[in-house]
Amino acid sequence: MDSISKQHQENGYLQLLIMAGMCVVTGIVCLFALGQGSSSNLDMMTTAKILFNIESGTSLQSDIVWKLRLPRVLMAIIGGVGLATAGALMQGCLGNPLVSPLTLGVASGAALGAALAIVYGFTIVTFGAFAIAANAFLFSLVVVFIIIQLGRYRSINSESYILVGIAITFIAGAIVSTMQYFATDAQLSQLAHWSFGSLSRPDMVVVLAIGTTVLCLLPTAMRWSWDLNALSMGGDDFAISTGVNPSLVRRNILVLSALMTSVIIAFTGMIGFVGLAAPHMSRLIIGNDYRKLLPCSAIFGAFLMVTADTIGRTLFAPIVIPVGIMLAIVGGPVFMYLLIKPKAVNH
Amino acid sequence: MSALLNVEGLSFEWPNREVLKDISFTIDQHQIVSVLGVNGAGKSTLLKCLNRILKPRQGMVHLLSKNIHEMPLIDVARHLAYVPQSVGTNFPMNVFDVVLLGRRPYISWVIGPGDREKVSKTLHYLDLQDFAFRRYDQLSGGERQRVILAKALAQDPHLFLLDEPTSDLDLKNQIMVMEKMKTLVSNKGAPCSALIAIHDIDMAARFSDKIILLHEGEIKAYGSPIEVLTPQHIAEVFGVEAEVQSTDTDSPIRIRINGAINKENLEEE
Repeated sequence: MDSISKQHQENGYLQLLIMAGMCVVTGIVCLFALGQGSSSNLDMMTTAKILFNIESGTSLQSDIVWKLRLPRVLMAIIGGVGLATAGALMQGCLGNPLVSPLTLGVASGAALGAALAIVYGFTIVTFGAFAIAANAFLFSLVVVFIIIQLGRYRSINSESYILVGIAITFIAGAIVSTMQYFATDAQLSQLAHWSFGSLSRPDMVVVLAIGTTVLCLLPTAMRWSWDLNALSMGGDDFAISTGVNPSLVRRNILVLSALMTSVIIAFTGMIGFVGLAAPHMSRLIIGNDYRKLLPCSAIFGAFLMVTADTIGRTLFAPIVIPVGIMLAIVGGPVFMYLLIKPKAVNH
Repeated sequence: MSALLNVEGLSFEWPNREVLKDISFTIDQHQIVSVLGVNGAGKSTLLKCLNRILKPRQGMVHLLSKNIHEMPLIDVARHLAYVPQSVGTNFPMNVFDVVLLGRRPYISWVIGPGDREKVSKTLHYLDLQDFAFRRYDQLSGGERQRVILAKALAQDPHLFLLDEPTSDLDLKNQIMVMEKMKTLVSNKGAPCSALIAIHDIDMAARFSDKIILLHEGEIKAYGSPIEVLTPQHIAEVFGVEAEVQSTDTDSPIRIRINGAINKENLEEE
């Protein structure tokens, strides 16, 4: 094998190694997160032993780790993985670095659904405790449906998707604002609470259901890596000349990532930042090859989310700051720094 | 020798402008065919119609007797490689990975050693080996143009569709690229030809086996450089007065442009 091919292969191994390292770091952060909380702080060894059933701690400790903290940390991992992957997918298929799961109007649809449930008690399906989440999910599906319908038009290009997303955001925002104007104080606070984005709501069953959905969608997304490479690298004409059908790929990818987003934010509320920042930070670490960018974004998303949530829970304990707020406060400046610092280390 | 490409009655129009009117021509194997014409004559549109980027209103395109418009896109990419005038991106990859995309029509998911070798060979062939792990956006315009050409080469196509492949290149690289294309096309191992939209008449005369002169969406003339590039054709299509001298150097003819005809009319446009 010649030297260039060899170096390309070695670069690939190095990138795998970097991702393995990121997995280990994320794992450690998760262990730490499981040990931290308002009731009792455990060191990582104890947490690990309880988690892997090597040595059951006191039954109280075991309950806290398994029943209280594990659903939350798992939700953070799944949410981070799903939103970051959805962000990377949307950016790639629209060729636009500003796109995130919130940009296409999916989240606005969810917010509208939640507001209707909270203020008017208007729910499409009543699942009892899940009424709000179900409503949020179904309304974001309406947005997904609009996206699919749009994709049928031959003339639609990547800019139109973004502009339609902005239009949907404005319309949904206006309706939600109108409802807030007429809402009672109690409803207002519930609405505000929903929009913060928090990991405390879903219980273990819900977490596992969301997790299964995200896990099923991920490999499907990975299968489109080559097509996304062609599309994000050179746009529509370039993609066609590489044997890729851009409008078909775009439609499939958008529906898939919108589904992934809506499943998550229906239960957690608005968590925006991770879907924008995790893919970009991953691009800086691993480059723009989607075969590596997708897994890297997923890992980084999980890392960001667990870290932000843990800081939010411990910084002013026992007060818990919602993860959406923590992500924006902590992640924003870090993100800006990464984008403006000299790019000599990018490759 | 059988024809490589067969175009019959190809027409294309934008909602209120007819761009290509009933275009028919054939391209033989192992030839370089240049498309000449003024801005807006339909050169780029013609290339895009052949590569399924644009859908012609009517007409048939057959490559090696297979209908292009009935093939799956991935098969089209195995037969035809299109190189746009320029490729810009928000998400640049490194040069090796861009050229590797040329292997995408053959790769399911895993890259084989053959694919890497093909990319490496292509990079060496176009003198790009030193750029292999540089990022695409950090290259100069001419280097980028060669990278996209390398991607097309890695596709192993039967027909290259090149849209002004030399527009950003310096003189030495213009000659280098055209000579390498000539070598590629004359390789008798597999049927291969190139259709090149180009502005430089001298370059076209020097390297083309045939020239298509496109004028207002129609073929004005099609044939060898000596047949097509007559003073009369050049005057009618480009609106300039030219002298054509035959030579015995690399290029069959030398064209001397004396100046624009009818300057007042030109300024009105």
